[in-house]
Amino acid sequence: MERIGVVLGRREATPLEFWVGVEGEGLLRLDDLVVVEGFHPKVGKVRYFGMVDLVAKAHEGESFDTDVFLAVQGKIPVSLAYVAHVSVTRIVPEEFFPPDPGSAVYLAREEDLELALYYDAMKNQRGSTKLPAGFLKSGEVAYLNLEFLNGVKGGHVNISGISGVAAKTSYATFLLKSLLESEVLEEAHQARVLLFNVKGEDLLFLDKPNLRLSEEAKEEYRRLGLPPTPFGSVRFLAPPKKGEEGILPDVETRLEGVKAYHWDLVQFAQKGLLPFLFTDKGALTNLGFLVAHVTEKLRRLAEGQKGPHLLVADWPGGELPEDITFDDLGRVRLKSFSDLVRYLEYKLLGPETGEGEGDRTWVARQARPTLEAFVRRLRSSVENVGHLIRGDRKGNPPDPLSGSHQVHVVDLAKLSPQGQMFVVGSLLSDLFAKKERGQYRGRVFVVLDELNKYAPRDEESPIKDVLLDIAERGRSLGVILIGAQQTASEVERRVVGNAAIRVVGRLDAAEAERPEYRYLPTSFRQRALILPQGMVILHQPEIPVPLLVRFPFPAWATKREEVLEDNSAEALRREFF
Amino acid sequence: MAWRLYSLDLSRLEGTAGEVLSGAPEGAEEGYPASFQPLEEPWEARRADPVPWPEPLYFVDGRERGEAVLSDGRRLALLGCVAAGAVVYQQGNMRLLETRVRRVGVGLEEALRLGELVYEPLPLEGPPSPGDVLTALQEGLRKARTLLEEKLAGALAGGLLVVDGPVRLRRQGPVLGYIKTHWARYLPEDREALLSTLKPGERTPMFRVRRKGQELASWYLRLPLPPEGVRPPESGLLRVETPLQGDFGALADLSLSLFPALASHPVKDPRAPQNLLPVGGLERELSRRMGSREVVARILARHQDSLSADQGGG
Repeated sequence: MERIGVVLGRREATPLEFWVGVEGEGLLRLDDLVVVEGFHPKVGKVRYFGMVDLVAKAHEGESFDTDVFLAVQGKIPVSLAYVAHVSVTRIVPEEFFPPDPGSAVYLAREEDLELALYYDAMKNQRGSTKLPAGFLKSGEVAYLNLEFLNGVKGGHVNISGISGVAAKTSYATFLLKSLLESEVLEEAHQARVLLFNVKGEDLLFLDKPNLRLSEEAKEEYRRLGLPPTPFGSVRFLAPPKKGEEGILPDVETRLEGVKAYHWDLVQFAQKGLLPFLFTDKGALTNLGFLVAHVTEKLRRLAEGQKGPHLLVADWPGGELPEDITFDDLGRVRLKSFSDLVRYLEYKLLGPETGEGEGDRTWVARQARPTLEAFVRRLRSSVENVGHLIRGDRKGNPPDPLSGSHQVHVVDLAKLSPQGQMFVVGSLLSDLFAKKERGQYRGRVFVVLDELNKYAPRDEESPIKDVLLDIAERGRSLGVILIGAQQTASEVERRVVGNAAIRVVGRLDAAEAERPEYRYLPTSFRQRALILPQGMVILHQPEIPVPLLVRFPFPAWATKREEVLEDNSAEALRREFF
Repeated sequence: MAWRLYSLDLSRLEGTAGEVLSGAPEGAEEGYPASFQPLEEPWEARRADPVPWPEPLYFVDGRERGEAVLSDGRRLALLGCVAAGAVVYQQGNMRLLETRVRRVGVGLEEALRLGELVYEPLPLEGPPSPGDVLTALQEGLRKARTLLEEKLAGALAGGLLVVDGPVRLRRQGPVLGYIKTHWARYLPEDREALLSTLKPGERTPMFRVRRKGQELASWYLRLPLPPEGVRPPESGLLRVETPLQGDFGALADLSLSLFPALASHPVKDPRAPQNLLPVGGLERELSRRMGSREVVARILARHQDSLSADQGGG
């Protein structure tokens, strides 16, 4: 054990915090873990484990700030004090009496470090639950307790941090890597991941090795017990390009291996996805009621239909647009979302000529202004989601629970905000409903950035309801949300509050002062302002202090330029044959 | 009869080396200014070019503190603490070299242990006059301190030694003593006028001083005392002396590079400018090593019982 100093006597030493005077050439930094041994004849030996959360140097006994100039000029002798404040993380055994001033302080290494960070408690009857979560400052592996992530004792992860400093998405993907490949999570092969790509095309290369991955970084992965490889089983889905006949994924940098996704009208009606087009449900309660009613009408209408187009029998010929076709029973074929909107307009407001009224069974006794508001909104959404909800081709919506791929990346970056809301809301509600019905056994991890958009603190929306459902009931159903946002203060409290694991990357100064981050000690809040790339502050329920964690450079490419091209004969053969 | 605690309130017995030594006793010295004898002519202000400080450059100082007065009914004894320390200037850095702390019982015949404090006996030389017991005890404590200082200074080899107060010890190498207060007059009246016209960084010519068979060269120099011109010129004066041996003239010129640079600032130190910066730091350190007065007083009060038990019949 390396002796680093002694417990100070000039300041109070308590069982929960004390000060350390650093001796000689000793080095004590923020986040260093220390151990002190105390003794009392009635209790015996007690060990205090703690983390340094403040270090300071000062010229002792000098009463004037300018004395330092004299000291530098060599005119006065000075005594340099190097002290550190330690927050106790653990006392073994739990006897809360203070350590004696003058007690030796040692750096906690190996077994001591494991005790200090409760690693010894991270296990269940089947084995260890230590999930590699990065590296501590000292270079040792930092762990988090899987049981607080996979839903056993707690679930969900929440990540905060300003964008552009590689924290949120990078750390989320690193955690996924650890979850899927560290072999700590049981039946990891059954786990499924739904990743939303909200910005650029960062996540579209998860399956490609990173060109810039250095040997040292590879070694770091090995020390974490992870293979330094990209994700093995990934399916990429992107929205189709707008205004084109064929269905081609709307992506720019990745050209192969991305499939376009969309819903057909029958799926849209049967699954009741209409509410996800109305993100301001709370604004008009009548409108909310109408939305629910029309959703139900559509569901009944689509009953038994195969799609992709929706057949309707009650749209008189005179009202029809020119390109509408009929099936053999004389029913009208709705072949696009705009057809559907026009049909609904007819059912709710009557013929375009303005004579007559809407169908009474559709309008649900709503006043005309409400009906008009509904139609207006629906019309304006045609531009946003017309290419996502279509009647010309069999639907192919993302379904992370089916197929053989483990990770499903759903691209949202090119969609309008309404389109993004629609996709996220539809997918999550569908996924949650399936898990509720027990249709899939394995755990499902959902990674969603920009939570402040989907679950804002002050507004109501159907998507927020789904996210709240996942946050509150998801962990018992095996749906784990790895959510991220720039500012936790703008996200619904219950969504953030239900996350057992909290991660903070670099924060904006004003944001760091908000109550959402009070669980961080002051020194960590200050440091959150200056966190460098690749470092996050990790907080988990069992450890009373947060950990400053560095995570390795991604082993997978995060953009086209980083992709390590595989030109081996075998790879070429795969490509061409 | 046993020793008993007589008093713990001794604040008036406290003092530091310079003040005590440059006080009254000096005035009684061998007939100055009558025997005034200049070593340099003409009698006018002198300057010197700056020279680098010699290394190592030692500063030695001491402190004393009375902690309790004991009485056995007939006699008094003084328990006190003396400390001496040295700082050294070397390679552009001033650092604490050594401190020594002793606890002595002036007037005791045997060592006295009270709790963790041990007072070594220091018998009085001859019976004091009845009215002056306390002064004599205090004088004994001062001697103990001087002894400690000289012992410490004697162990410092090479370089230049600067001591607070008159030069007493015999040393192989050069030594400078400086006196901060000027109760004693060394100059005849017609020469004294120069003192009030000295500018900061100037000195008087050297003159000869004889003390107890020791031949010394002495001079006054003027320390900077910002803001200039507010306080009377005498308040920035320092008298420096060195044994009349070797190149004492060079030391006089060196003193102009040394003392003004180390003068303390009146904002920070009520004894500015004469209380030199490194010595001020050393004194703070010494009083720290002597322990808190309150803590010592409490230890003594707590162990009163063992006092009479240990010294039963003493």
